[in-house]
Amino acid sequence: MNITISRKTNPMMKIVKENKNAVDIVVDFLSNGKLVFMATETVYIAAVDATNPRAVLKLISFKNRPFGKPFSIGVTHINMAEKYVVLNKTAKDLYKRFLPGPVTVVSTGKHTVASGVEAENGTLGIRIPDYQFCLEVIKKFGKPITTTSANASYQRRPYKLTDILDNISEKQKRLIDLMIDAGELAHNEPSTVIDTTLDDELVILRQGDIKLKDKNEVLSRSEENTQNIAKELWQKYEEYSGKRAIVFCLEGEMGVGKTIFVKGLARAMGIKEQITSPSYDLLLHYSLLTNHQSLVHIDTWRMIEPNSEFKQLVNDNLINQKSVIAIEWANRIRSEIRKRADDAIIVWVKIKYAKNLTDRLISWGNL
Amino acid sequence: MKILAIDTSCDETAAAITFDTKIVSNKIWSQAVLHASFGGVMPNLAQRQHQARIDWVIDCAIKNSELKIKNLDAIAVTVGPGLGIALGVGINKAKELAIKYNLPLIPINHVEGHLLSPFANAKELNAKFPMLGLVLSGGTTMLCLVKNIGDYEILAETSDDALGEALDKGARLLGLGYPGGAILEKIARLGNPNKYKLPIPLINDVVKNRFSYSGLKTAFVRLFSTIKDPNKQDVADLAASFQNVAFEHVLRVLEFQSKNQKFEIKNLLAGGGVINNIELRKRLRLLAKKHDMRVSFPYTKKLNGDNAGMIGVTAFLKIKNEKLKMKNFYDYDSVDRNPRLKL
Repeated sequence: MNITISRKTNPMMKIVKENKNAVDIVVDFLSNGKLVFMATETVYIAAVDATNPRAVLKLISFKNRPFGKPFSIGVTHINMAEKYVVLNKTAKDLYKRFLPGPVTVVSTGKHTVASGVEAENGTLGIRIPDYQFCLEVIKKFGKPITTTSANASYQRRPYKLTDILDNISEKQKRLIDLMIDAGELAHNEPSTVIDTTLDDELVILRQGDIKLKDKNEVLSRSEENTQNIAKELWQKYEEYSGKRAIVFCLEGEMGVGKTIFVKGLARAMGIKEQITSPSYDLLLHYSLLTNHQSLVHIDTWRMIEPNSEFKQLVNDNLINQKSVIAIEWANRIRSEIRKRADDAIIVWVKIKYAKNLTDRLISWGNL
Repeated sequence: MKILAIDTSCDETAAAITFDTKIVSNKIWSQAVLHASFGGVMPNLAQRQHQARIDWVIDCAIKNSELKIKNLDAIAVTVGPGLGIALGVGINKAKELAIKYNLPLIPINHVEGHLLSPFANAKELNAKFPMLGLVLSGGTTMLCLVKNIGDYEILAETSDDALGEALDKGARLLGLGYPGGAILEKIARLGNPNKYKLPIPLINDVVKNRFSYSGLKTAFVRLFSTIKDPNKQDVADLAASFQNVAFEHVLRVLEFQSKNQKFEIKNLLAGGGVINNIELRKRLRLLAKKHDMRVSFPYTKKLNGDNAGMIGVTAFLKIKNEKLKMKNFYDYDSVDRNPRLKL
């Protein structure tokens, strides 16, 4: 694979093909607090020494996200994990069942990693990558590394190095010290993230290829979290973008956060404008100049005859133009949406209030 | 200057004749009128079908003005923000008439219309710039610095729901129907605004430069779900508590901004449908008085909600103050809808 990199990248940045000899180079870079990109069985990750505070700050700066948003770490074995977290029975069972593999298990942290890696509530996500090169690096390094995906926040999933380089700023490029090129990876989902810190039940925070329930359902703990889940859902369907219309049909009670979800969706699509509620205007249209894509945000809440009004608003142009359409209170126009099932990707998203005040259960499917 | 103004930005089909800042006639289509003139109930869908009623509304506006269309000086039309297909109806009709009678066609921003609506009937024209301008409606929640006619700086906008929308949603939740903002106001008068504690939006913002109503809406949904079988008094208390906090948020942002301008502000303009609320007007007046400002509302209630009178007045004020040349308004093709037009 050829990689084209603009001259403004870190002049010291090295790109090395993934092979046995590269392990020592990576370990050397990690030991010196450097930022290294390498492959796993899911996506390319941005690895730093998870116990080095300065390296973690560098990573935060690259990811372009606020301090306090946690990073998962990679280890080689359950015994290694126990140095950093308390494993309860639920967690141990998950390790046995799924690891190594695309599952991140969240447990109570022992505060032995650098500040900024654990979540604000002291939890820490750990996974054991099912990827030989990565495991060898961690084994030789002897310390955990961060396994966060190598893209900046709200950018496309990194399956090849150009996915990353084409979507970051010059400033971000200068932060990268080493890239291990493993070519284009299979387009697997990011890992499934499971929280085991609640005694009574397993909580899925991100749904990857491994499913623990018979439906797709994750828990959001904040508005920012809901936006992030919208982004992840977008990334599951992004490959259809420009080829088919994609319709996100939102259901859920008043105030549950449907517009918040669309804010996350817009952000993931690269829309910079403020997304506001379309309740009054019925339809708001946002265009992306870069790739001729557009987001059409519709709300049926105050429509009197929603089916026929929707038909007037969304003439088949929007479907033919392969727009992304987000519809709030979509349950009011189920029959109209069904009629378009052959021409568009239809994703039903249900948001429900949950136990804690800011918690929301978000489920989705192509029903 | 005699202007025919047309506004079809969202639900209302409206036309007006204005003479400088004077409103000569101001017609707004309503279900009741239609009922009478068509002799039957139209399907609900028609509430947003401007095509069917635009001619009738314009004819009424002209007839009521006792003027002839050929004696007019210009046509003004709302080009945004609003719903695209609705805006298109008004714009197409305005173009058709402009071509037929060879009149200049002036594109107008609907929000600017609300903002300048207190200038209708001229009395306010000697007010001093810069002023503050507040527009509160179903689709807009915005505070700006009015440096002059046509020269505005946004100080705060909503980052999610509009105030009018929040009030309507609160009302629907309480079972008061839609649009329920006006009923909510009536019922709130019977309630205790301090009965229930609701969070004042963005109370921790040190620099108050935005509005937000989605968090309050969510808190209200949650509060309501904890009250079993609410009786009449409960509903009144809920309405009063909700409205109180919703207004408190506006007042706090307004107070912060009025104290933090480079120039001394003596005037506040306030327009938009929510300005119909008497409690809100009272509180705006009190705040204005405290800061030695004068607050100006439109002279009649009809100018608060969506209407075309304000569009005609705005067209006149812009032509006059921005010294625009009428000959520049004959390029009809350049007038196009802009659903998300900014101020």
